[in-house]
Amino acid sequence: MRSRFPVAIAASTGACALALGVAAPAMAAPAAEQDTAMVSVVHGIPDMTVDVYANGDELLSDFEPGTVTDPQSLKAGTYDIQIFEAGQGPDGTPALEKTVEVGEGDTATIAAHLSADGTPQLTAFADDVSKVDPGQGRLTVRHIAAAPAVDVRAGGEPVFTGLTNPNEDSAVVDAGTVEADVVLAGTDTVALGPAELNVAEGAGTVVYAWGSAEDDNLALATQKFSGMDSMPKAVHAGGDGTAVSANSTDWTPGWAAAGGVVAVAGVLAARRFVGKRD
Amino acid sequence: MAVAVLAAVTAVVLGVLWLAQGRQQAAPPADFGAVPPAAASDTGRPSGAAPPPSVAERAAVRQSPPERVLVPAVGLDARVEGVGVTPRGDMTVPDDPAVAGWYRYGPEPGSAEGSAVLVGHLDSETGDLGEFAALRDVRPGDTVEVRRAGAEPVVHRVTARATVPKDELPPSAFRRSGPPVLTLITCAPPFEPERGGYTANLVVTAEPVDARQGP
Repeated sequence: MRSRFPVAIAASTGACALALGVAAPAMAAPAAEQDTAMVSVVHGIPDMTVDVYANGDELLSDFEPGTVTDPQSLKAGTYDIQIFEAGQGPDGTPALEKTVEVGEGDTATIAAHLSADGTPQLTAFADDVSKVDPGQGRLTVRHIAAAPAVDVRAGGEPVFTGLTNPNEDSAVVDAGTVEADVVLAGTDTVALGPAELNVAEGAGTVVYAWGSAEDDNLALATQKFSGMDSMPKAVHAGGDGTAVSANSTDWTPGWAAAGGVVAVAGVLAARRFVGKRD
Repeated sequence: MAVAVLAAVTAVVLGVLWLAQGRQQAAPPADFGAVPPAAASDTGRPSGAAPPPSVAERAAVRQSPPERVLVPAVGLDARVEGVGVTPRGDMTVPDDPAVAGWYRYGPEPGSAEGSAVLVGHLDSETGDLGEFAALRDVRPGDTVEVRRAGAEPVVHRVTARATVPKDELPPSAFRRSGPPVLTLITCAPPFEPERGGYTANLVVTAEPVDARQGP
């Protein structure tokens, strides 16, 4: 299952890029960034390989349960999202259909999944991609499984409690690997896990609990968002002043004094200026 | 536009004056004008640095953390260990002034993208000069070699050096995408004990030397 994952993602990404050429011709131009949104798709309906259509254009084909696409640039606007059993679209009857509006600059994930009582449905989640402090990562858990309310524990301690389908909970935590499990809310009855969860630094880690408790096929799927890093607040790499007190003559006025600082900055500025004319 | 040109020209003149001054006073005897080619042929690839096969296998997981950084021209040679941030969000700097820290949340030296950051103390709390104190003597073109676990060393050449107030550390030093560079950071005067010590950072930027273009 896991080893197939990257392959499935790569395949679906390719299909997506192809379809986007039709749906959003301006997407490749950086200038168009302002009127685009970043959209991911997650498939959480067991035992059904699907094709995904947006406004009648195929977005993803042969999309397997448990996979999550990378974020794709889509022109902002309103999309009629249709999910067909693989090979049945676009003229057949969609298994699922929903109108989704994506605004300029939005980052969103569309999930095809089961409701708490096991009915297939589509849910759009807004992805929080705001910056986190250095050394931290954002952990989000989304409950899209046919299962009752759950608690999510990390290292045995509840992190999120009373999470219900189709909702999410999120926290910024220290980056690193935690051992996580999912229990029925308010109990120690493990529904999923434990699993090793790597909360990457400066990134978003979104974990989906999907499948069906009744059919005994609950599973986890993981999604990553990068680019939320921020730089350390400062670098304090000095001590007691030995370098200036004992060896002060080595600190040549050329760079240690304010004049040197200006000159260095000036050279850099000049280099940038020259570079721009090329 | 005219103002910008004037500013640029002024900056260039200042820079040249500074470089001339620096050359006169500098301790290392290297010929400034010939530095880039000479540095490459002298120290481009150390002998005996090829990793043994068992280590090369480990490189398959694409993690090659830095183990040692050397700037032969100024005698800098420091062991490197991975560091993160303190609870306050400052970059962690190894206590031992002989040891450099690699910011393990950012790119590794030798990565295809972004700025790999190495940091080292200028001096310690116990009167020792740090290994990174030697950075004050680096010149454009000086070779910076980073030896890695499970991968060939990567060789860089110094392209820029800047002294900035501590609270104005350029964000580009920690960028995780864009052209690959190596950024070396230490402290710099002024030293003001009442403000916690050094109030500036010295930032040295080095660009990777394409191994295929080497001798």
